[in-house]
Amino acid sequence: MRLYEYEAKEIFQKYGLSIPRGKIVESAEEARRFASQIEGPVVIKPQVSAKKRGKAGAIRFASNPEEAFRQSQSMLGTRFDREKVSTLLVEEKIEVDKELYAAMTIDYSFLRPVAIISPFGGMDVEELAHEKPEMVKKVRFSISTGPIEREYEELVTIFNQEERIVMKEVLQKLCRIFRDYDAEMVEINPLALTKHGKVVALDAFLNVDDDSLFRHPDLVRPRGMSREEFEFEQSLKEKKWKYIEMDPDGEIGILSSGAGITMAILDLIKMHGGRPANFLDTAQMNAEGIYNAFSLFAGNTKLRVLLVNIFAGLNRCDDLAMGIKRYLQEHPLRMPLVVRMIGYREDEGKSILKEINVETIRSLEDSVEKVIQIAKGAA
Amino acid sequence: MSIIAKRSACVLIQGITGAAARLHTKNMLDYGTRIIAGTKPGGGGGEVHGVPVYDSVAQAVEQHPHLNTTILFVPPKGTKEAALEAVKAGIKTVVMVAEHVPLHDNLEILEEGEKKGALVIGPNTPGLISPSEQTKLGFVPSQYFIPGPIGVASRSGTLTYEIVSRLTLNGIGQTTCIGVGGDPIVGTPFPKILQFFEKDSETRAILLIGEIGGTKEEEAAEMIRDRKITKPVFVYLVGRTAPEGKRVGHAGALIEGNRGTIESKLASFKEAGVPVADTPGDVIRIAKEVLKN
Repeated sequence: MRLYEYEAKEIFQKYGLSIPRGKIVESAEEARRFASQIEGPVVIKPQVSAKKRGKAGAIRFASNPEEAFRQSQSMLGTRFDREKVSTLLVEEKIEVDKELYAAMTIDYSFLRPVAIISPFGGMDVEELAHEKPEMVKKVRFSISTGPIEREYEELVTIFNQEERIVMKEVLQKLCRIFRDYDAEMVEINPLALTKHGKVVALDAFLNVDDDSLFRHPDLVRPRGMSREEFEFEQSLKEKKWKYIEMDPDGEIGILSSGAGITMAILDLIKMHGGRPANFLDTAQMNAEGIYNAFSLFAGNTKLRVLLVNIFAGLNRCDDLAMGIKRYLQEHPLRMPLVVRMIGYREDEGKSILKEINVETIRSLEDSVEKVIQIAKGAA
Repeated sequence: MSIIAKRSACVLIQGITGAAARLHTKNMLDYGTRIIAGTKPGGGGGEVHGVPVYDSVAQAVEQHPHLNTTILFVPPKGTKEAALEAVKAGIKTVVMVAEHVPLHDNLEILEEGEKKGALVIGPNTPGLISPSEQTKLGFVPSQYFIPGPIGVASRSGTLTYEIVSRLTLNGIGQTTCIGVGGDPIVGTPFPKILQFFEKDSETRAILLIGEIGGTKEEEAAEMIRDRKITKPVFVYLVGRTAPEGKRVGHAGALIEGNRGTIESKLASFKEAGVPVADTPGDVIRIAKEVLKN
């Protein structure tokens, strides 16, 4: 879960990292008031989940309160990468001598955490890492101890003598945040070095591992979505369901169990020219689960057909068939239904569905062909 | 022969008194797995399907010094503690079935396992099964597996059952099938598993069932290209049409930048001369071809 910049900055500050004086505002008037308190130029930044705001021109500068008002007004209510801008962070503009970079994340190839620093921060650090890798220092370290003395020394060799001391402190603080917040990534880019040799975090990125959120319940709240969307998301999480809307103009809904097989079905459908609309991947299915799952698709008026894939290894076809039967008896389904069913107690499951005139198909490929025929025929 | 799930595995079940653990302990015993003991803090002195239960791994190991393998039927929140307890007690193979183990916990487990020379499998794995040794570690449905020459490693449970049941229908058996786990960080990813299968005398060919996200398919392809793996390898890859930037299913299946994309994986396998199947049916066709040679 990605925190907003201002949330990450609050945490940074708690851990002793300097951040610019700033305020969260929801109106242009508030922005004007804060800018006049600052008595100098300010930076105005939308608080959204997308990265690369700078490159997209979404970070604005204002030299006086009036300009701060105008800039804020032009940003509030607009959309940035589909997310509505409803809050802005207004900050004093820091006089920057140099822009540095510091981050801690996980090296998925080596299965270890890694610290990354560079004397050249800013918007183009990814390109720099690619073109001049010697300008970006990466050191992997132990998760249980954090970087040891020798590793810190190695990291800061890329900086000059005075910078080394402050950078080591920054890294030590970042490491504490990284561990305490179960971070997938914590990043300061740019990290400003002022003329007085002070370091200030101009931006803050903190991505907390979703699976660790039981340790950070205070961080769980809607970001970039409505209350209803958030509650829906949370309810899916509780059920351990993964529901993804793929294509608003798609025609085929997919209800399946297991990420791998669900991806295989999506591949097959697209390979044969079909358009999947959404899918639900239930980790484990039973009669109750499949009954509830149907309700997710039933209300979608764009769906032309629903494909249900059941491969009963640990669960039972007849049990799942009962769940489907119960749902369909209570709620007539608007769209045609194709059930692929194979596995434990398959014949029993088949006859249960036959009672309510639902045919089952044994082969995965045949079931995919069938849904595509239906989707195309109805078009 | 087979890998990891062998007759010599003397198995402990941590968290044996839970409902899922009871069910799968029974399934594993019926299949032939040598389950020697179980643990449940505070549950010592009891029995589950005739298997004695102890309070701690240390106690179980004291009574049964030949215990060498553990399966964790423990919730994600408790997985780290349970895994570290097992590693500390000298268990050499740790199978973690739980999904949603926190990333940092997982890193700690892997680090400790490496330090103590323990092999960690998972998390987020259905486990592994070796049909010729009548041994399964985890909850893979054993009815789909028969003994034979193919070693199978997969990032996904249900897709493995789909593919292996077809191999079996076509008379193509397996030495060992291992679910390496669906998380972005797992203890025994594809490159490590390839080395195990390479050394196994019975395995004639290796099937990798991969997906988008991560770089383990690419690393496996490099090993094959560099001739560190000499046995024939073939691959089935899914997630070709997954929407970019969305977690399609497995946490590991997240596309980031150019790494882990389907294009990068396909290109790596092509360079290594590894055949890649497009569909489940295609896997069977390639398997037959590979075994003919």
